[in-house]
Amino acid sequence: MTFPHKKSHGFTLALILLLTACSTQQAQLHQQQFLLFGTLVDISIWGTDKQQAQQAIAQISTDLENMHNEWHAWHDSPLTRLNKMLASGQSATVPPSMVPLVQKSMALSDASDGLFNPAMGKLVKLWGFQQDDLPESTPPDDAEINATTALQPKMQNLTLTHNQLQSHNTNVQLDFGAIAKGYAVDLAIDKLRALGIHNAIVNAGGNLRVIGKHGDRPWRIGIRHPRAPGILASIEAHDDESILTSGDYERFFEYKGKRYHHILDPRTGYPANGFTSVTVIYHDAATADAASTALFVAGPQRWREIAKKMGIQYIMIMDDKGQVTMTPAMAERIHFESNPTPHMTISTLP
Amino acid sequence: MTRADIVVVILAVALLPFLYITYWGSSQQGNELRVMVNGKETMVLSLHENKHITVPGPLGASVIDIHDGKARFVSSPCRGKQCVHTGWLGQGGEFAACLPNRVSIAVIAQEQRYDSIVF
Repeated sequence: MTFPHKKSHGFTLALILLLTACSTQQAQLHQQQFLLFGTLVDISIWGTDKQQAQQAIAQISTDLENMHNEWHAWHDSPLTRLNKMLASGQSATVPPSMVPLVQKSMALSDASDGLFNPAMGKLVKLWGFQQDDLPESTPPDDAEINATTALQPKMQNLTLTHNQLQSHNTNVQLDFGAIAKGYAVDLAIDKLRALGIHNAIVNAGGNLRVIGKHGDRPWRIGIRHPRAPGILASIEAHDDESILTSGDYERFFEYKGKRYHHILDPRTGYPANGFTSVTVIYHDAATADAASTALFVAGPQRWREIAKKMGIQYIMIMDDKGQVTMTPAMAERIHFESNPTPHMTISTLP
Repeated sequence: MTRADIVVVILAVALLPFLYITYWGSSQQGNELRVMVNGKETMVLSLHENKHITVPGPLGASVIDIHDGKARFVSSPCRGKQCVHTGWLGQGGEFAACLPNRVSIAVIAQEQRYDSIVF
């Protein structure tokens, strides 16, 4: 290309610089997805050099792999061995990495009035959700469900003294499925900070926590629509916030036209009724993970009371009729992306 | 400023929308599809060439359709079919995975509308 006059080079140069500036912005983002922890893990890091970002991602992937192996509820693992000891009525030594997870689970189960219940591994197994793929499409017998529910395993049946765990109910079988990914995300964020990274997202199977920003703007998080392809809404995440959803579309099977999903109600032994998804924003991902499950189980009658008890302010719920209910705090943060926008109600917590 | 300068400036300004569309497109609409097996990238395909591809995983073949700038799982040898239920993906940052078959797809755009997705 030739130019008729020297001055025009200035314009071309400015245009090139403008385009280059955009691609430099993009170059500051390091993003990697991998299959770990039985799910898709997605890590984004902004503003560090490539080598530092790659080293951090490699470190986190090793950490997550280790956590996955230690806390696995159905492959041979320290957790399954611990469960065997609890079932035999013996006091069991909890591996060091699991002690804070057990403590946190006990506290959150208490705060949720037992609706978040990691002690009901037997029930989860009975429904066939303790396997890598989904269960064959038949629900268990009602009699079996009732019998398993009547055993009433609870986190309150456990006593943890230092690293010694004793169960007063031999039917307690720990399954951290409703908290482990959130807690793992918290540990991954701690590790990133220790490695000097201050702008990042760690997303383990839809359980995510963000720190810092994407350059000069906040991180933008999409929330998948529970009943349609694509995105329902988006949120601009603040520094050090976790955003999580519990939904009936994550793991389910259908039998005679009815959906049986993995969020089981410890009071009835059946999948919880009333909601299709519950999204919460909270500081740490472990609490947000347990709370989204507890609110889903609490259902239309009790979710406000449980949210208050657990200290959760930001909540968005889609019910089984496709209607959205939000707390006032969440309504200020959410931006609907779906068309048409769902019918929406604002509900104040007690 | 000479007349030639003015002509160049007008031409350059007129060229901008063309350059923007050609090189940036609708920046949040996906341009490419990243296909991963076992967490490793196996191919990156244009979303603007309609294609039907078969991706072998440990359980068998996952079939992925690319059509008019969007992509989806058509079938996969898993029981749950969660990947198929996810439906069409078109915007930067959207993804779907068949975890049992260890196959995942993600849409890549110049600028992602969402930095990450909660599901």
